[in-house]
Amino acid sequence: MAFEYLPIMAQNSAPKPPRVLVKPSKFAWCAVTKPLFQSRVALLTSAALRVESQPPFVPREDLSYRRVPSDPAIGPIVIDHHSGIGAVPKQDPEIVFPRTALASLLSRGLLGSLSPRHFSFMGGVRKTEQVEKELAPALAYELTQAKVDLALLVPY
Amino acid sequence: MIEALGIPTLVIGTAYDIMSKVVPPRAAFVDHPVGRTFGPPHDRERNIAVLAKALTEVAQFTQPGMIRDLGCDWSSDGSRSWEQELRAEMLREH
Repeated sequence: MAFEYLPIMAQNSAPKPPRVLVKPSKFAWCAVTKPLFQSRVALLTSAALRVESQPPFVPREDLSYRRVPSDPAIGPIVIDHHSGIGAVPKQDPEIVFPRTALASLLSRGLLGSLSPRHFSFMGGVRKTEQVEKELAPALAYELTQAKVDLALLVPY
Repeated sequence: MIEALGIPTLVIGTAYDIMSKVVPPRAAFVDHPVGRTFGPPHDRERNIAVLAKALTEVAQFTQPGMIRDLGCDWSSDGSRSWEQELRAEMLREH
C-alpha cells in the first residue's frame, strides 16, 4: 500500500484545517500522437528551483516562474522551495529535476529532442485561482513556443 | 490547460493519495519517499532508470485520469522501513 501523505499534511496544518486540494476547473486530455523518439520533451517542476544566476523565488506565494536551461552544463541548480522535505533534494536537485537523466536518454536515442528550456515554479501556493488564470497559461504558452510534444510535471 | 493547447502531459509523482484526489490527465506513480522521485542523491543510473520507465509508460495511458504504477521500489529488498523515517522527517521539519 502506498504511503499516505494527506494525514501527515493534515497533522502539520493543525489547528488550521488541512490544505484543500484543487482540481482544474476544466479537465482537458490530449492524446499522445508522436512516438517518443520523435518527441520534444520538457520538464516542469514545482520545486521553485532555478540556476544560481536567476533571481530567487520568494516563499510562499510567489507566482513567477523560471526558464531553466535544459543543458545540464549551464550552471548548478538551487532550490528555493520552503518545504520541510527539502534537505535531501537540496543535496542533489537531480532527484526531483532529472535534467541530466533526460539529456542522457536523449543521447541514447529514446527521445527526439529536448526543449531548450525547462520550467520551474512554486508549488503549494494557496492562490489557486491565480495559478489557473495566470501562471498555467503562461507556462502553456512557453511550451507551445518551444514546440514541446510532451511535458513531464514533477510535483515537489 | 497545457493539454487543452495540444500538449500531452505526464505527472511523475510519489504521492498516490494526492494524485488520486487531484486527478491529473496522466500520472505515473513512483513508490519512493517524497522529494526523492528519481532516487537517492547522486545516483544517476537510478535517475535514468526511473525516468526511462516513466517515459516508456506514456503510450500505455488509454484514458484520461489514469494512474499507472511504475513498479519502482525504494529499497532493493522491498523493505518499507523508509516510511517511518519519512513520517518522522515530515513531522520534524514542519
